[in-house]
Amino acid sequence: MIILGLAVAGAVGAVLRYLVDRTVQERARSRLPVGITVVNLSGSLVLGVLTGSALHHGVSAAWLTVAGTGLIGAYTTFSTFTFDTVGLMEEGAWGGAAVNVLIGLGAGLGAAAAGLALGSLT
Amino acid sequence: MPRHRTDPSDRGRQPAVRTAAIALGGSLGTLARYGVDRALAGPPLGMPWSTLAVNVTGSLVLGLVVTLVVERWPPTRYVRPFAAIGFCGGFTTFSTMVVEAVQRGQHGRASLAAVYLLVSTAAGLVAAAAGMAVARGRLLPAIGAGPRPDPDTLGSLDPGPAPGGAAGGPEGGRPGRAARS
Repeated sequence: MIILGLAVAGAVGAVLRYLVDRTVQERARSRLPVGITVVNLSGSLVLGVLTGSALHHGVSAAWLTVAGTGLIGAYTTFSTFTFDTVGLMEEGAWGGAAVNVLIGLGAGLGAAAAGLALGSLT
Repeated sequence: MPRHRTDPSDRGRQPAVRTAAIALGGSLGTLARYGVDRALAGPPLGMPWSTLAVNVTGSLVLGLVVTLVVERWPPTRYVRPFAAIGFCGGFTTFSTMVVEAVQRGQHGRASLAAVYLLVSTAAGLVAAAAGMAVARGRLLPAIGAGPRPDPDTLGSLDPGPAPGGAAGGPEGGRPGRAARS
């Protein structure tokens, strides 16, 4: 059952990432990959909430695996983050590459910490 | 500049099949990540080797596949949605990495968390660049693609504009590296 849940959640997460990325990037008018940054930060917040809830409120391990590992794990992505950063470096946009990495990691940690705190409360 | 803009050729071309390709790839990528996670599971607050492994290998594969699709291969319609957006996107994960780092930081293992993030990012960037270099035949020329395809050949393989009027090739036929995934 977990495998089936993971398969469905992974499919939904990947399609959701595509839609959010495209919607945000179209409106951002930026050379920075703003769409993927929004995806990764929002996903980090939600995974923090799920993990915090699971630790403090006894959410089942199966549910955490399907929603966290499956849905949010597939929604967020690391490979596009590194690929886009290398692309910015190749274009000579070193400042943009640095901003992308620092905002991604810094705000990602902040979002995950905030999510864990929220999840342990609610 | 056009690099991060949505490709106009995405529009009006079999969006349902494209979405299905992303969904299938995402499904398989997620199952593969779960499998690696089960195989490499370590102590609860140790170095998260499985996430590190999927993120670095996924970066390598994404760099390879997207560069092949965009720069080397004749136009393909569904390789990128399936293999890049779907599989590599679903295989690698950002949220798990930062939550793992925060949890280690909160349990007195801040330096492990810092090393984890630093190694993930540095190795991920090197892996993505290596994948791109292999696709361009600059690294491991035996594996890299041959000479760059002739643009005229690409043009003749291109099925042409969609009935909806979208210009350009379906995947990778467009000029430049509009390399989003």
